[in-house]
Amino acid sequence: MTTASPSVFLLMVNGQVESAQFPEYDDLYCKYCFVYGQDWAPTAGLEEGISQITSKSQDVRQALVWNFPIDVTFKSTNPYGWPQIVLSVYGPDVFGNDVVRGYGAVHVPFSPGRHKRTIPMFVPESTSKLQKFTSWFMGRRPEYTDPKVVAQGEGREDAETEIPRSTWVCLCPNPAWLMLPFCPQ
Amino acid sequence: MAEVHVIGQIMGASGFSESSLFCKWGIHTGAAWKLLSGVREGQTQVDTPQIGEMAYWSHPIDLHFATKGLQGWPRLHFQVWSQDSFGRCQLAGYGFCHVPSSPGTHQLACPTWRPLGSWQEQLARAFVGGGPQLLHGDTIYSGADRYRLHTAAGGTVHLEISLLLRHFDRYGVEC
Repeated sequence: MTTASPSVFLLMVNGQVESAQFPEYDDLYCKYCFVYGQDWAPTAGLEEGISQITSKSQDVRQALVWNFPIDVTFKSTNPYGWPQIVLSVYGPDVFGNDVVRGYGAVHVPFSPGRHKRTIPMFVPESTSKLQKFTSWFMGRRPEYTDPKVVAQGEGREDAETEIPRSTWVCLCPNPAWLMLPFCPQ
Repeated sequence: MAEVHVIGQIMGASGFSESSLFCKWGIHTGAAWKLLSGVREGQTQVDTPQIGEMAYWSHPIDLHFATKGLQGWPRLHFQVWSQDSFGRCQLAGYGFCHVPSSPGTHQLACPTWRPLGSWQEQLARAFVGGGPQLLHGDTIYSGADRYRLHTAAGGTVHLEISLLLRHFDRYGVEC
């Protein structure tokens, strides 16, 4: 990846969103997208996707398996803005509405080879108890208008959610993990 | 000029007695270093773990430095704070760690400490919160005047940092 003069280099990412563990939720699907800096551009493959809806297996593992392929190639002249993959997991609540169950982001690995990444997921939460109840009741949870904000560092201390007048507190659903084997080359 | 890319995440923190933690982070470099891209400091969101004690932030860090010398190699410093249900913030720990100097991906665990006050202040902290804080943030990453402090241990901040180095061989530095 180090060159003597500025030139274009390619980053090819092959992999899959393998599975997740969400002990409390079932019937989930996930969306992925890539966030990258200005010097980066995708040249091949899809930079966004929506997976199938999966249910927990009936055995003791209680696994939610997607096996959802990721295949994208980026070109760049600068490592700044190294791509991050942002994952959002959604599922139905008790009333049947589609609500967000977790967001997570991780950088694409930096070295060639096979990598397996497990990423923690979090959901934004409203701080007022009344708002928590009304959002549970109405099925309109705090959600990001643009999930790509999860991959950014600025503005996290007071990010806005869709429901107005709520400040941003994150909670880690118990323990929610996403497994992502990568094979970048 | 030699260039350094620091790319990674502040994964989270463990071992703190308080939950609902957030972290203010910053990076300090010597005078020969220049930040070309990225933000030098930031603040994570507040995370309340539901199960287990580890608070996860997954806060991205992406910095691009140019340097003329090795002195003042970058140091990441942290202030971990806890927030209670009323929105008040209390210091949980200060910590720092050097950015690694070999290229590749590194898992870092940065221990933290917090200043202890007199026994009256410790008692007040147990009941109403608060507690002493540092006036000058640079004591977190420098050794000068540390002998004046009496501190207690906090938890650990976990990071995953990857380093890309460029043009160091032109200056005779092997990496």
